[in-house]
Amino acid sequence: MLNLRFFISLAFTLILVFLLNNSWQLGATRIPPLGKFLDPFHGFWQNIEPKGFTGPKELQITGLTDKVTVVYDSLLIPHIFANNDDDLYLAQGFVTAQHRLWQMEFQTYAAGGRLSEFLGEGPEGRILDIDRSQRRLGLGYGAVHALESMQKNETVRMIAEKYTEGINQYIATLDYKTLPLEYKLLDYAPEGWTPMKCALLLKRMALTLNIGDKDMEMTNALKLFGKETLDLLYPDREPGIDPIVDNAGGWKFDPVRLDSIPLALPDELIAIKKLPNPDPNVGSNNWAVAGSKTATGSPILCGDPHLNLTLPSIWYVIHLNAPGVNVMGASLPGAPAVTIGYNDSIAWSVTNAQRDLVDWFKITYQDSNKNKYKLDGQWVDTKKVVEEIKVRGKETFYDTVIYTHWGPVTYDETYRGENELKNYAFRWISHDHSEELLALHKLNRAQNHVQYMDALNYYGSPAQNFVFASVSGDIAMRVQGKYPVRRKDEGKFVLDGSKSSNGWQAYIPNDQNIAYKNPARGFVSSANQFPADSTYPYYVTSTSYESYRNRRINNVLRESSNITVEDMAKLQGDNFNMKANECIPVLLFYLYEELPDSSRNFLEVVKTWDNFNTEDSEGASYFEAWWTELMPMIWDEMNTNAVLEWPTSYNTIKLLKENPNLSFFDIQSTPEKETAKEIVQKSLARAVRKISKWKKDHQTENVPWAEYKDSFIGHLLPPLRPLGIAVKHGGNGSIVNAHSRSNGPSWRMIVSLEKTGVKTWAVYPGGQSGNPGSYYYSNMIDRWVADKHYQMIFKSTQAETEKAALYSTSLNPVSK
Amino acid sequence: MKFLIQLITIGISAFILELVMPWWCIAIVAFAAGYALKSKANFLAGLFGIGLLWLIKAWMLDASASAPLTERVAAIFSLSKPLLMLVTALVGGLVGGFAAMTGASLKKAKRSDSYYPQ
Repeated sequence: MLNLRFFISLAFTLILVFLLNNSWQLGATRIPPLGKFLDPFHGFWQNIEPKGFTGPKELQITGLTDKVTVVYDSLLIPHIFANNDDDLYLAQGFVTAQHRLWQMEFQTYAAGGRLSEFLGEGPEGRILDIDRSQRRLGLGYGAVHALESMQKNETVRMIAEKYTEGINQYIATLDYKTLPLEYKLLDYAPEGWTPMKCALLLKRMALTLNIGDKDMEMTNALKLFGKETLDLLYPDREPGIDPIVDNAGGWKFDPVRLDSIPLALPDELIAIKKLPNPDPNVGSNNWAVAGSKTATGSPILCGDPHLNLTLPSIWYVIHLNAPGVNVMGASLPGAPAVTIGYNDSIAWSVTNAQRDLVDWFKITYQDSNKNKYKLDGQWVDTKKVVEEIKVRGKETFYDTVIYTHWGPVTYDETYRGENELKNYAFRWISHDHSEELLALHKLNRAQNHVQYMDALNYYGSPAQNFVFASVSGDIAMRVQGKYPVRRKDEGKFVLDGSKSSNGWQAYIPNDQNIAYKNPARGFVSSANQFPADSTYPYYVTSTSYESYRNRRINNVLRESSNITVEDMAKLQGDNFNMKANECIPVLLFYLYEELPDSSRNFLEVVKTWDNFNTEDSEGASYFEAWWTELMPMIWDEMNTNAVLEWPTSYNTIKLLKENPNLSFFDIQSTPEKETAKEIVQKSLARAVRKISKWKKDHQTENVPWAEYKDSFIGHLLPPLRPLGIAVKHGGNGSIVNAHSRSNGPSWRMIVSLEKTGVKTWAVYPGGQSGNPGSYYYSNMIDRWVADKHYQMIFKSTQAETEKAALYSTSLNPVSK
Repeated sequence: MKFLIQLITIGISAFILELVMPWWCIAIVAFAAGYALKSKANFLAGLFGIGLLWLIKAWMLDASASAPLTERVAAIFSLSKPLLMLVTALVGGLVGGFAAMTGASLKKAKRSDSYYPQ
């Protein structure tokens, strides 16, 4: 007879092993395969990096032509010494993947609309919706064009292929034990890298930086409020601003002129569920001061790009050395070369150069088959692309996206739409062919202003303000991107997609882009403000321009002389709240009546505040509480189904001051009629309640700004909240130290371009390793919070670099 | 005594096999030891043989850690660090225990079949 006990016991064991060897979906959460995951010999425990951990001394790498040495310094920054460019980029791919593989791949999955593949459709289908949005915005379509451009140019093709090879060499070394933590948690494995992924990654950056638009919002505002009010609420150019390049009367070129057919203004109300615009706090600072203003007599260049702060860190610092190049700085994991940095002769940094680079075209189909649409009086064929979105644990989702002359039809009745008649095609500059990698490759090797200008001619999108300084003493700024020539008000509203003349007819020639060199004031700067004075001969518009950081930076620089690196570090960490400084007097002006005690105490704190958002500042918390009550109260008219956008803070304050009887100050939910005076008083009462509630909730009498702001640097995958880090820090959006709750300076760099050698200081909120089990995951955060930089090790030889080495790894070639 | 030998054998062989095989090699080890070194408490030998091995290994990795990964992972599963270590030991231990029990029951089956015909 069969032994029943044996079989029951065997079956039980096998079932147990099976259960623990597989991942299971329990409600909204996915449980990793617990046996695999918890096994201390292979599972997540193996991702714990021991104290004093160093990498291998030698590695064999297929595809290298010669030996490459990678010297890691005490911040785990790799200094790569190669004998040719091919090996250099291969090593960059390998070394970056070694620290950031999961992040690199995740970002390309996100851009390609493939997150559902390993995350599933998500709660209420949210992940699938994100994937569909990327497909319907045509990120892949843009990436294919970028890839085509890459393959056309010999150099860029080599760069992308070698970088790819390096990443794949690293992937080939992995097994479950050495897999990055996130793969183990989410139970999937890396796939091979391709140059297409580099292209996707660049499109993801473009998505963050230049996809903002307000065409639908403006169309609705026009319909609801009329043209006059629209111009009052959303002026193209806010008065009293300080443009990036003030060159009044100095634009000596013959601009491209278009036959000025007045564009028909639309007359419609759009109630689609528009995808959210990028965070307006995404911005940046950069500036360079000439030797005439510095203590050393050499130029100093500073840059701090502001992004949604995440871990693993957005940037990966790297030093690339080969014959003809010695460059160091911040690189984007997944994209070859250095994006922001310095070499022996020059330094550069970028801020986002806002401009309207997006248009929405209303499409009229012939019939519900959508096989043809109207264009210039004819029915033209559409192209239907079936997007295949694999969904973990469910059947594949197929989404038909219709392509037109303009680009993909993002919104229709199948996606966030309103009805069958509302079909909007998306035209985006980042859909076009472009050669950013060539621009970066050349910029990395540029020796002077001429070569910097030449390199930037290859740069298309996302448009950036490139600050420059050289050891030879030049400073410069160039607003570079591919910019369509716009007619007045063009691109502000939704356009009629049945006329090709409504599209972009020409692009601003590179040599007519906004730029200048060595201005008399001795410095150049940009902080996402309006780019040029009013004599610049092209029409310039954008979702919004920043109005505060740039003026503060310029005020400080204008008044400074004998500038030192310490002064620059101080300016990067400057907490002066210019918005509050300009707003508070306006608010106080309306508070002349007798107030209750609680409000008087509140006001006392605001009045005596020095307008600096330092960590312990209480006034900063009170002002923020007040401001965040005031804005929605003023713009309550905009809570409609039709998508609308609030005017800027700058313009709101101006209207409060100059138009106290503006109809928007009336609160719609109350029977009485409010003006600026009442709205200031009522928002104050609410702010007082908000602060006292905060005090009660936190059981304290103090409301220090850092506690009130409560910043958090989250993991790239937000549900993995314990992998993020809470930080208590000063600053805020609109402040030079632009750290709001989740956005902030993602990289801070100061470069002193001295004749005796380029010296640099930098810091960023995170660390070089993407492994949450590594000391280097977050080791720089404390210094970043203290607004302190590290001096970078930047030498031109391997021997000198090795003096400061944590350890070195030789990458030895193996023949294929 | 036999129990202790069985327990230690399971722990040591699992340690060696884990260097070259995936996690489920612990089931093979415990099964074999359950069969070959059958004791009075096979389940407990497997449970503690593997459980202690995993606990000690996890504890050692955590003790030398340069970053609080154990705490971070524990928080993802809403556990405390000691609890995560215990769950780790338990997961390995249960597989070890049941596999050892299975191995032992196979031996009994053979014996009863060959010596005591019905």
